[in-house]
Amino acid sequence: MASRKEAPSGKSLDSPVRQIQIEGLVRPHHQALQGSEVVQGVLLGLVVEDRLEITNCFPFPQHTEDDADFDEVQYQMEMMRSLRHVNIDHLHVGWYQSTFYGSFVSRALLDSQFSYQHAIEESVVLIYDPIKTAQGSLCLKAYRLTPKLMEICREKDFSADGLKKASVGYENMFEEVPIVIKNSHLINVLLWELEDKSTAADKHELLNLSSSTHLEKSLQMLMDRVDEMSQDIVKYNNYCRSLSKQQQQKHQYIQRRQQENAQRQSRGEPPLPEEDLSKMFKPPQPPPRMDTLLIASQLSTYCQTIKEFTSQNLGKLFMAEALQGTSSYS
Amino acid sequence: MSRFFATGSDSESEESSSADEITPKATGTTFNKQDLLLSDDEEDTKRVVRSAKDKRFEELTNLIKTIRNAMKIRDMAKCLEEFEQLCRAFLKSKTIMDKEGVPQFYIRLLADLEDYLNQLWEDKEGKKKMNKNNAKALSTLRQKIRKYNKDFETEIASYKENPEQSAEEEEKDDAGSASSSGSDDDDDEGITAKSLLKKKPQEEEKKAPEASKFLKGAADEESESEDDEESEDWGSDSVDSGSESEDNEGAAASLAVVFLKKAQDSDKLTDDKKDSRRKKHKKKERLEEEADEEAEAEEGGWEKVKGGAPMVKEKPKMFAKGTEINSAVVVKKLTEILQARGKKGTDRAAQIELLHALAGISNENNLGEGILIKIKFNIIASLYDYNPNLAAFMKPDMWKKCLECIDELMDILFANSNIFIGENIAEDSENLAISDQPFRVRGCILTLVERMDEEFTKIMQNTDPHSQEYVDNLKDEGRVCGIIDRLLQYLETKGSTEEVCRVYLRRIMHTYYKFDYKAHRRSLGLQGETKSEQDQEESEGEDSAVIMDRLCKFIYAKDRTDRIRTCAILCHIYHHALHSRWFQARDLMLMSHLQDNIQHADPPVQILYNRTMVQLGICAFRQGMIKDAHNALLDIQSSGRAKELLGQGLLMRNMQERNAEQEKIEKRRQVPFHMHINLELLECVYLVSAMLLEIPYMAAHEFDARRRMISKQFHHQLRVGERQPLLGPPESMREHVVAASKAMKMGDWRTCHSFIINEKMNSKVWDLFPETQCVREMLVRKIQEESLRTYLFTYSSVYDSISMETLSEMFELDLPTVHSIISKMIINEELMASLDQPTQTVVMHRTEPTSLQNMALQLAEKLGGLVENNERVFDLKQGVYGGYFNRDQKGGYQQKQSYQRAPDQRGGYQQKQGYHRDQKGGYQQKQNYQRGGYRNQNQSSY
Repeated sequence: MASRKEAPSGKSLDSPVRQIQIEGLVRPHHQALQGSEVVQGVLLGLVVEDRLEITNCFPFPQHTEDDADFDEVQYQMEMMRSLRHVNIDHLHVGWYQSTFYGSFVSRALLDSQFSYQHAIEESVVLIYDPIKTAQGSLCLKAYRLTPKLMEICREKDFSADGLKKASVGYENMFEEVPIVIKNSHLINVLLWELEDKSTAADKHELLNLSSSTHLEKSLQMLMDRVDEMSQDIVKYNNYCRSLSKQQQQKHQYIQRRQQENAQRQSRGEPPLPEEDLSKMFKPPQPPPRMDTLLIASQLSTYCQTIKEFTSQNLGKLFMAEALQGTSSYS
Repeated sequence: MSRFFATGSDSESEESSSADEITPKATGTTFNKQDLLLSDDEEDTKRVVRSAKDKRFEELTNLIKTIRNAMKIRDMAKCLEEFEQLCRAFLKSKTIMDKEGVPQFYIRLLADLEDYLNQLWEDKEGKKKMNKNNAKALSTLRQKIRKYNKDFETEIASYKENPEQSAEEEEKDDAGSASSSGSDDDDDEGITAKSLLKKKPQEEEKKAPEASKFLKGAADEESESEDDEESEDWGSDSVDSGSESEDNEGAAASLAVVFLKKAQDSDKLTDDKKDSRRKKHKKKERLEEEADEEAEAEEGGWEKVKGGAPMVKEKPKMFAKGTEINSAVVVKKLTEILQARGKKGTDRAAQIELLHALAGISNENNLGEGILIKIKFNIIASLYDYNPNLAAFMKPDMWKKCLECIDELMDILFANSNIFIGENIAEDSENLAISDQPFRVRGCILTLVERMDEEFTKIMQNTDPHSQEYVDNLKDEGRVCGIIDRLLQYLETKGSTEEVCRVYLRRIMHTYYKFDYKAHRRSLGLQGETKSEQDQEESEGEDSAVIMDRLCKFIYAKDRTDRIRTCAILCHIYHHALHSRWFQARDLMLMSHLQDNIQHADPPVQILYNRTMVQLGICAFRQGMIKDAHNALLDIQSSGRAKELLGQGLLMRNMQERNAEQEKIEKRRQVPFHMHINLELLECVYLVSAMLLEIPYMAAHEFDARRRMISKQFHHQLRVGERQPLLGPPESMREHVVAASKAMKMGDWRTCHSFIINEKMNSKVWDLFPETQCVREMLVRKIQEESLRTYLFTYSSVYDSISMETLSEMFELDLPTVHSIISKMIINEELMASLDQPTQTVVMHRTEPTSLQNMALQLAEKLGGLVENNERVFDLKQGVYGGYFNRDQKGGYQQKQSYQRAPDQRGGYQQKQGYHRDQKGGYQQKQNYQRGGYRNQNQSSY
């Protein structure tokens, strides 16, 4: 079916999957899915040693609101059975999702990836950015939840303390798995041929300075997230304050109680009965921290993309400067 | 209404019913009658015709039944309540009792109740168990019944002697109550039949207590307690019946005979009685008309009662024949009449009549103006008293009478300069008789006139403003003003300064909201078309502005109560504003400092303040001071309750927020319709000024994150406009403004102009201004200017340079104006451009940050906020116990410390801190925040 090229193994990851190999065949499916709407689908393939090979995929049907009773699971099973009939790998190895300017980190993604990874240990989520790809740079990334995050999700302990204990930060929530794309020889030949045929103008696409709209969009979204982050922090701050205030009250109460008891003892009276302190001082509801983490993670993704984008552009600018000499850009 | 009418109508129904009854009663026995009634009942749909007696008795028996029930369950409170009702019912049926005697069952109840109460009273333990209410009721009831039973002592005694008979009756009673009401009647019939046997002795006996009751009634007249009042009522009632019978003695000459006859033929008696009653009724009417003669006949015998009895109406006799009528007698009479004032059952209309009659008598006898004035005062006072309810307004005829009275009073006062009136003249130091000394009369005409003014407001409030009636009522305003003017003249010569201030305020209140068209025309230089009109104008006195100025200045100087001054200032401002004297109005408003403390004033003054502010805003708008207009109207409009704040109507609200009581109070505060400020005009002025301010501002700060709204209301309207699924041509005023705003946003002043000024808007809004044309011209100019500004803001990025001539053509403004507008924008750094003088062009500099740069700046700001918030959390973690809270207190201390440090140390120290603060305590971090300013200074100076 396909000749395999051994990809250089990335950083060592303590997960069963160290590398993902994608068949070139998988891509056309994605490219059909342009547009701003989020598209999702199922990845099929097989696990070879520490390598996950994705050999096929099919999208979830785009269902509109009026057929709400559409049974997705049924459809999946149906689809997989059909694929099996034509002798295609039918092992469910994960799912994919399209993204819009790199905004994909959300609670929904976390939840579904958790359930996938919980059921099938090796499963990954493939994030694909159609817009960026259309501009000339393939943007395809595979993510998995880290074992620590898995642990937390399993216990559903999203409090600040729980996260602290598990030492999960936004930077180690997801792990990115390196991707190797494999094409069949036929495709390789086609590509070579295309390269030969393409004119110089087509190749200069690379030198284009990307318009600022992309940057603006990214900034806009970054800003939105920052706002959310701010709100979350304020919430958490309030919580902390009320907690410490209550702690203080509790402390005072206990001290008073102790003093009183000491006095009573000196007078020979029985000490006051113990009261349920937890009832008297109900701790305030701690705000869930997972959302904050997710936002932070999303922020870092945005920053990453912006950084990439700008560094590319800067590189081009410097190049242009060097080429043009000192006349135009100084 | 008065008792008189009540009894009158009652007797009428009695008559009609008795007329129906006559036939069966005359012919049939009781048995017969029962049949008849039963058959009536069976038909059910037919009205049951019953005699008055039956009706009354049924009422009594029903009450008695409930009392007995209450007795059974020991519910004293209920018992007391019912007993009181019973007494009242008994009183009502007094006339019947006179004929029929007190029914046996009534006596029986009284006796039983007393026994029962005594028994309960004795039962100490039971009493203790009783709840508070019940115990209280018990003691009251016991006292009451003791008092009450004194009147029936003999009957009760006889009942106690002979209880079997009543026991029999009781059985019957029970049977009766078990069946329908028809049988109830028969039950009563039976009782009366039996009691008739005893009637005669009873009847005679009745007379004695009656007499005693009179005495009691007379004696009790001073005391006010409820019990006494009741007995007083009782007394008066019996006076009534007594006097009637007295009257009858001559004419019908039957009572004694009737009584004798009664034992033999009861039915006939009732007939007779009815007849005589009817006659009596007629007589009563006659009595009213020619009261004097009748009354004089009575005079001798019943003198004693007269004073205390509130039923003056019954005998409006004035003076005995031949009495020498002098002022002392009249005064005495006057006090007599006045004593009935405010008492229950006093017929107020009759009292007024009486006072009028008295005035007539004193006039006839030439008793002098002193007395006349005193009576007039009282007539007016009782006219005001006529409505017991504060919310109710005067009836038109009363109002007319009142106006006439006050007019007459003023006439007298003006005609006789030797009369002193004042509220501080004591009753006994009055000098009413004609003598050399000037008259001294107690009373305050100012108060009366003020009250009259209030009544007028009330009448206007309660009239439908869209009816002819309102116009008719409004015509009286002239009279009211006339009276106030006369009073003003009077008080200017006679009154104290406070009084003058008060009357001035009244005058001001009637002046401030009226637009002086004559003065307006004169100021425009338009003389009256014809000579005669001009003459008329001149003869009609000074401008309202001059009057206002004079009156208000007097008040500012002389008034010592804050309220009058406040009102005067507000009215003065309003008047200025109304006549477009914007600077005077504004200066006065600013000098008064009313904005600072108006919230402490009472609601009517606040309403006046709101009205003034609105008028001020509208005035500013007319003068083209758009910003001032907007500021003045902002408070009123932004609340969305302009209607309520101006006292021009209540907002629909649910009852939770406002109960009926509050609603009544609020209704009383409403401003009469003819003083209203047009709300649509107000809103339009506000929206248009908001548009003129907001649209250029929006264009200038399109990318600014911290852009604030100038007017929320306006933005709301814009949003509403955007939400419309289908945009047709504008209909309402608001839609016009929204459409105009949209046009202006594009810099299209012509469309904007056509939306703001057109036929519809003219008729709705602009024509309401006195100088419409000026306002419209001003508006067009403003629209052109602001459109130009908006255009430059919006499209400056498109141009490299633009010729001012083109601009002046586009916006139809002359070149200097365009030049000045652009220069102003450049100076204010709103427009990054420079003027190129030789070519008359504006050269754009293009230093505006691009949207990407703007965005980056915003992001930086937001990140700053984020970091700050984050640090707060960090503080909290570091501090031991609520370090964050203590920060403020400790902060001061630490600031002091830091002053002592050398600046270089501090700078370096803090620079080191930067963001790596892990090991440092909370305190230092806090310092960083509070000293941000200092640090920067230090660093820069370094």
